[in-house]
Amino acid sequence: MAATDSAAVRTEGVWKTFHQEAEAVHAVRDVSLAVESGEFTALAGPSGSGKTTLLNLIGGLTRPSRGKVWVAGREVSGMSNQALARLRLNEVGFVFQAYNLLPVLSAFENAEFPMLLQGVDAEERHARVRELFQRTGMAGLEDRRPGKLSGGQQQRVAVVRAVASRPALVLADEPTANLDSTASEALLDIMGELNRDLGVTFVFATHDSRVMERSRRLVRMVDGAVASDEWRV
Amino acid sequence: MQARVLVMLALRNLRRHLRRTVLTAAAMIAGAVVMVFSFTLDDGSHEQWIDSAVRMGSGHVTVERPEYRVSRRIDDRLPDGVRRAAEQALQSPELALRIAAQSAKLGVTGLASSAAGSRPAQIVAVDPVAEADFGTIDDQVVEGRYLEADDELVACVGVGLAGSLDLELGSRFVVQAQDAEREIAGQLFRVVGIFRSGLPAIDQMMIHVPLATTGEWLGSASDVTNVGVVLEDSAATTQVVEQLERALAEPVARGEARVMGWRESDPTLAAAIAIDALGNYIIQGFLLVIIAFGIVNTVLMSVMHRHREFGVLRALGLSPGQTGIIVLLEGLALALASGLVGVGLGILIMWYFLSDGLDLTAVMEGAEDLTFGGVQVDPVIVPIFGAWRMVQITTFIVGIGCAAAIYPALRAMRIDMTEAMKFDR
Repeated sequence: MAATDSAAVRTEGVWKTFHQEAEAVHAVRDVSLAVESGEFTALAGPSGSGKTTLLNLIGGLTRPSRGKVWVAGREVSGMSNQALARLRLNEVGFVFQAYNLLPVLSAFENAEFPMLLQGVDAEERHARVRELFQRTGMAGLEDRRPGKLSGGQQQRVAVVRAVASRPALVLADEPTANLDSTASEALLDIMGELNRDLGVTFVFATHDSRVMERSRRLVRMVDGAVASDEWRV
Repeated sequence: MQARVLVMLALRNLRRHLRRTVLTAAAMIAGAVVMVFSFTLDDGSHEQWIDSAVRMGSGHVTVERPEYRVSRRIDDRLPDGVRRAAEQALQSPELALRIAAQSAKLGVTGLASSAAGSRPAQIVAVDPVAEADFGTIDDQVVEGRYLEADDELVACVGVGLAGSLDLELGSRFVVQAQDAEREIAGQLFRVVGIFRSGLPAIDQMMIHVPLATTGEWLGSASDVTNVGVVLEDSAATTQVVEQLERALAEPVARGEARVMGWRESDPTLAAAIAIDALGNYIIQGFLLVIIAFGIVNTVLMSVMHRHREFGVLRALGLSPGQTGIIVLLEGLALALASGLVGVGLGILIMWYFLSDGLDLTAVMEGAEDLTFGGVQVDPVIVPIFGAWRMVQITTFIVGIGCAAAIYPALRAMRIDMTEAMKFDR
């Protein structure tokens, strides 16, 4: 199966096997999946179902044991570390469960960080971050360090950071797991708006029912394999 | 752009853990201060040894016949033409600027006798005025006076020789040596001064006599065995030797003259300085290794503590090399700042000793005549600040800071992103 231009992500027969002592553990088994640009897709499943590992494979954080992964039309499995780093920088945005903002940078600096690495000029960077801060209700908190922000605010900054560099897709690993219900709803509203208004492609790994309810495509995983793949209206 | 981001992250990380940064910097600053203290005093004492030795001997640079250094015979006098050529070259503008003093001497071995007995002697015939500028004997006279311009048939003798021959001021004694005709010639001298150099070999054997008197006594007219030069800065020795060799190319080629720097004319002193300097380098090396382990420990702890952050940076698009560079930049920035502050602080502290020197008289009590490498060790050491030495110390500190960051940087480069981000703090 060849990659197509419209697919943000495509996997073909992907396996990820970990070796624990003499035993081989298949975290991901033979997953073939295509995510088109503009999708709002959730990979759902219980702990150990392989959804985070699949997300890591798509994001180039780890390499498949077998099979191939395409991101924005580029096959990533055989890429060098340098090329993978460039791919993550330019094509993938990450939102992590633990926010993972850089503590030495302010909220604004965290948000513009990937663009700094991309070499986007200051005017453009600042315009994009200001606009997204406005959208996400973070205006006025630009100069705060992560330690001075609530969990919900930190996760909004993480979303802005993931989106501002205009990647082909944003991978969000349990983005609401550390948030209360109000903050979770607010964050999902923001992500939904960004998907709807700006066409940002989101792929979630989640076991949060709120995320699953809002996703337009739900891929259920069990024991590392895709158990069901359903489109929702 | 990316380089600026890496530098910014490195500097922010240093500022983030200010206490840890300050403690690590303090160790490096202390190391730099100790190095400045040690090296400036070492350089100062070496310069004192060199100055003392060359003024007592044949200068930073000497021109003499090749055979004279071993034979010490009057037969190996410097030909008059060579002497004049050497003195003319020394008056050239490019050399004159570098010269503090010069003295042409006739040095031969002989026998000094008095009613009390006879002793071997090292007879040095000098121009009293030039020698007063050149040497230190005139400052070391403990009884009487040094030679003066119009003196004839008088001598200034070492305190040991005076004691052996039972000589006092005004005493007369006979000196015998081989003359220009290879005959033994004797001359009666009157003691006008007794000196104490602190060097037993000098005090037991050396006699200074007027050059004019010796010319008549030994039939050597105004001939000398060497033309010695004391330089303003011993570091210019090699250059002056080369310039003089060019000026005296013909007599040097004919084997009538040899131009030597102090390292060549006094290899014992050169070896003593090299050994002392090596010892100092070894001690400083141990100090640097101890500091390096401290830095490795601190920087490594810092990297381990930021395991998750490095994972995030990698996920955001930094390559393994770039994460390693951040750690190296932290080490470089910390070491550079510490090196500069440490050297500055060291200079400030040592500045206090610049005028009067560090007086170790109390430590050296009972060892006033301590010698090393053929020179008397002066208990007062005046430090020397060389720009090159300060650059060298800063480079040592920066080098050790960077080297100490290499292993932590490699650890940062090898971080597994997915594992790093599993941690939950």
